[in-house]
Amino acid sequence: MMQNTQSTPRKFSTERLGYAFNTTGKIGLAVILFWAVIAVIAPFITPYPPGKIVDWDYFGPISESYWMGTDYLGRDILSRVLMGARYTVGISLAGVTLACMGGVVLGMIAAVIGGWFDTILSRLLDAFNGIPSLLFGLVVVAAVGSSIPVLILTLAAIYLPGSYRFARALAVNVNTMDFVTVARARGEKTTYLIRTEILPNILGPVLADLGLRFVFIVLVLSGLSFLGIGVQPPHADWGGLVRENIEGLSLGAPAVIFPCIAIASLTISVNMFIDNLPQKIRDRSH
Amino acid sequence: MHRSLQTWLLVAQRLGVALITLVIVSFAVFFATELLPGDVAEILLGQAATPEAVAGLREAMGLNEPAISRFLSWLSGLATGDMGRSYVNDIEVADLLGRRLSNSLRLAVVVTVICVPFALTCGIAAAMWKGSILDRLVSILTISVISIPEFMVATLAVLVFAVWLSWLPALSYGADASNFGALLKAYAMPVITLTCVVSAQMIRMTRAAVIETINTPYVEMALLKGASRRRMVLRHALPNALGPIANAVALSLSYLVGGVIIVETVFNYPGVAKLMVDAVATRDLPLIQSCAMVFCVSYLSLITLADVVATLSNPRLRK
Amino acid sequence: MRAPNYQQGLNMTNKKPTNWTGRDDAMVENAIRRGATRRDLLKLLAASGVAVGAGSSLMMSATRAVAETPVFGGHLKAAGWSSSTADTLDPAKASLSTDYVRCCAIYNRLTFLDEFGQVQMELADSIESADAKTWTVKLKSGVSFHDGKPFTSADVVFSMNRHLDPAVGSKVNSIAKQMTEIKAVDDLTVEIVLEESNADLPTILSLHHFMIVADGTTDFSKGNGTGAFMMETFEPGVKSIAVKNPNYFKDGPYLDSFEYFAITDNNARVNAVLSGDIHMGASIKGRSRRMLEGQDHVWSSVTSSGNYTNLNIRLDMEPGAKEGFIEGMKHLINREAIEKSVLRGMATVGNDQPVSAANRYHNSELAPKAFDPEKAKAMFAKSGLLGETVPIVASDAATASVDMATVVQQAGSEIGMNFDVQRVPSDGYWSKYWLKAPVHFGNINPRPTPDILFSLLYSSDAKWNESQFKSEKFDKMLIEARGALNEDLRKEIYWDMQEMIANNAGTVIPAYLSNVDALSKSVKGLRPNPLGGQMGYAFAEYVWLDA
Repeated sequence: MMQNTQSTPRKFSTERLGYAFNTTGKIGLAVILFWAVIAVIAPFITPYPPGKIVDWDYFGPISESYWMGTDYLGRDILSRVLMGARYTVGISLAGVTLACMGGVVLGMIAAVIGGWFDTILSRLLDAFNGIPSLLFGLVVVAAVGSSIPVLILTLAAIYLPGSYRFARALAVNVNTMDFVTVARARGEKTTYLIRTEILPNILGPVLADLGLRFVFIVLVLSGLSFLGIGVQPPHADWGGLVRENIEGLSLGAPAVIFPCIAIASLTISVNMFIDNLPQKIRDRSH
Repeated sequence: MHRSLQTWLLVAQRLGVALITLVIVSFAVFFATELLPGDVAEILLGQAATPEAVAGLREAMGLNEPAISRFLSWLSGLATGDMGRSYVNDIEVADLLGRRLSNSLRLAVVVTVICVPFALTCGIAAAMWKGSILDRLVSILTISVISIPEFMVATLAVLVFAVWLSWLPALSYGADASNFGALLKAYAMPVITLTCVVSAQMIRMTRAAVIETINTPYVEMALLKGASRRRMVLRHALPNALGPIANAVALSLSYLVGGVIIVETVFNYPGVAKLMVDAVATRDLPLIQSCAMVFCVSYLSLITLADVVATLSNPRLRK
Repeated sequence: MRAPNYQQGLNMTNKKPTNWTGRDDAMVENAIRRGATRRDLLKLLAASGVAVGAGSSLMMSATRAVAETPVFGGHLKAAGWSSSTADTLDPAKASLSTDYVRCCAIYNRLTFLDEFGQVQMELADSIESADAKTWTVKLKSGVSFHDGKPFTSADVVFSMNRHLDPAVGSKVNSIAKQMTEIKAVDDLTVEIVLEESNADLPTILSLHHFMIVADGTTDFSKGNGTGAFMMETFEPGVKSIAVKNPNYFKDGPYLDSFEYFAITDNNARVNAVLSGDIHMGASIKGRSRRMLEGQDHVWSSVTSSGNYTNLNIRLDMEPGAKEGFIEGMKHLINREAIEKSVLRGMATVGNDQPVSAANRYHNSELAPKAFDPEKAKAMFAKSGLLGETVPIVASDAATASVDMATVVQQAGSEIGMNFDVQRVPSDGYWSKYWLKAPVHFGNINPRPTPDILFSLLYSSDAKWNESQFKSEKFDKMLIEARGALNEDLRKEIYWDMQEMIANNAGTVIPAYLSNVDALSKSVKGLRPNPLGGQMGYAFAEYVWLDA
């Protein structure tokens, strides 16, 4: 039932090939995999230790010894970007997956069960969203200290309510549709309704939302490092690299440009990948 | 009429729930503040906080009362419209907050007026012609804009428009503008930055929501019956997508009220986000609480509005 | 900046310092008028016994003075770097540079320090004592507050006593405590009795917190003082606008009005100066100076005043208690890298003691410990900690400490010593981590005398004894020096004390930070001052805007 009307001409081949991707999706996936591999092998391929001051000068230009220039302390940017991939890719992916999975599951349950359960859960999460994330971040550091798992959970907690609201709004709409009413009349269980009827029908926007949230998490990471729960020195995530070198912007320093390019390449390809997921995955209601 | 009575009931119920949420939030914020190291006396004395000095100041500020009783007296004051006085500088919180809040709201309104029509148009157009060059262009542009950190957009805007071209001031006070031209100039930079950030997000959500409803069977039916694509989107798909769109818009707008700390910092705009950050840093309980309340009220009213819009736009939710 | 050989006398009157006088200023200015070269001038200065560093600053200010005649009028906009709702016009509570700037504009002190670090009289006419214990302060007559009330000894007594009242929450309570009696002798004479002799009282009274407010003031939001400006608008955390006081008792101010606020973001502050939106951006990072280069409408003013960020290792806790660890750290910290890379040259290398080269008691023969990873390695091995992981707490609250920590961390990783840098929030840093963590960073603001520094930071009962350094010998020397009226003896004791700190305390002071203010070329008359950037925060009264 759920067909993409625009892609009708290509539908035939898509159907035949099942899970095939189009080129844009493939490029997206390739870039993501590239960064994932970098994240794993980073410590072995960095030309210099990422914390070492290699040049007395700062905001150095691209040169033979420093391919991406040097940062505000005279450290090698290439090494820092490579090591940063570890934190940016890993933490953001984990954070966004947790936030979206939690949010979507809770959102669907709330929509299907409805009634008081829905009201209470919705208000509680609204209330949580009402607490400023700065305050929340500070409390987390004060209470449990700082580590990578804490960082991931904090990010997930900050983004879960938004994800929940979004998924619930979609699921509530689907829940009123005839095929859900019919299924419910057949006496299907809640889990069945959620898995088979609701989820496939909200998956498209949910994935789009996930792509967006991923971008935000990549960026918000650098903000958290200033609260003390981010990536600890000498390492830095890409957002943090942009932040600490922002003064180089007016000098046209590569130190601020390259981390930006790295962020953009990752976030754009994640979204390209999601937007071009094979129809089979997106439309499982077939 | 029956229907309007039902609508009112719904709204009343929402309001009641929102009020309870507010109380929960104020408790949560209060305990969060209590968990943080240091109290206002220690923070104010900073490096000079010797035990005797702290004890003396606590005594003088009335901090020796249990925190919970100070909180309750603040809460009961609030019920009578009195937000209390700031611990730190003994100014009425209402006074302090009022000025900053009006600045923030002014900025939010300007950005909203520009963003919402623009974002909805772009998002719907992209959805209508999904897969076209326009759609792809919009997709890539929006993602690129949001993947650049906000402080980078802001700094770049200052460099280009203020330092290199000297067209616009590097700082923005908002309130200082004497005529329309000056007003336009004073707001240009923060508005440019925020519009970039907020509308990109709205465009993507609108596009996704509309596309999803285009895919539903009854829209396909209408299309098969020979309805024009444009008519189909505007008459059938859009109303059904209103719920999620309203939600996305509400979340973006609530961000504009309290979350624009970077823009406030870079352009030195005296808004309420910086006020909250200061309040947390100085452990100024009445001010933190009042700020949190303001954020929460604006957030709740926006999402409640979004819920109501969603309910009204979907006939089946209105049973 | 180094002061010329200066003899502190006990009879402090309103005259110029002994060695460097207005005549010397005139001499330099005349030489410049005659077309003397830089080299000629340095020779001239060397002949009068002025160190080269100080000489070139003197020369610069003299050069400026020749070319410039003050212009009256104009509205100056300046931005500091921190401001919040805690901004206050109460001098006792002032804690940020923003507060100091505003207080300096609207109030006066009894004394102040000039650009050479010499005590000058402001509201006092003279401060005298026979035994450095009982001091007689004669006040200027004919001075009045902004609201018209004449300035008398009651105001001084009230202002001083506030620091002793715990309810006020004064920042200098611990310094003020030595004043056991403050009484008005007549309308224009105050007598201050100290607990013990302290020859530094005139300098102490030049601290920003000892500004004079009107007797009985409880509401400080109006800023009723005797100063050069009257507060017109004051919004804490937003901005202030002050207008010229037409009845000011000194010459000046030149400006009609001045506006002060904070732009917390360093980059935004520099950009605002570059775009011409503000005339002055205070305290910019050393690396931002490159943005000012090649721009002919801006300049920067560099002040070295003795502010420093230090690595504190507590002697009473692991790992500092292990013999050899602290010495290892002192040899592992790469002072040159910190001075050159972290601070971009806007610093002078430090030798682990708090009296900077800006102070005339600075022990110039005490060499900084050399960066020697091998020696450090041997020391760590001796302490049994080589190969262990040691946490170092750093925060943006202590200027540049995170970058300094990474420099230490990197040097450590090359000799097999692991340092786990923990960057913690600025928020709550001073109450939660400073003085408490076993290895952490601190940041100490400049103080005008070694006595204040030592009693605040290193005596056994010091409130801020950062490394828990305790030495009876040191405490005795402190008291001896305080009462020593012989300048040479004092200097000798202070030099020995600096050596003791450098060798035995757990505080590693890698560099003294310089302050850089970015200014528009139209701002004239600004001279560096040892009390801090922005002309010791008092620029508003002295600068003018060139039309």
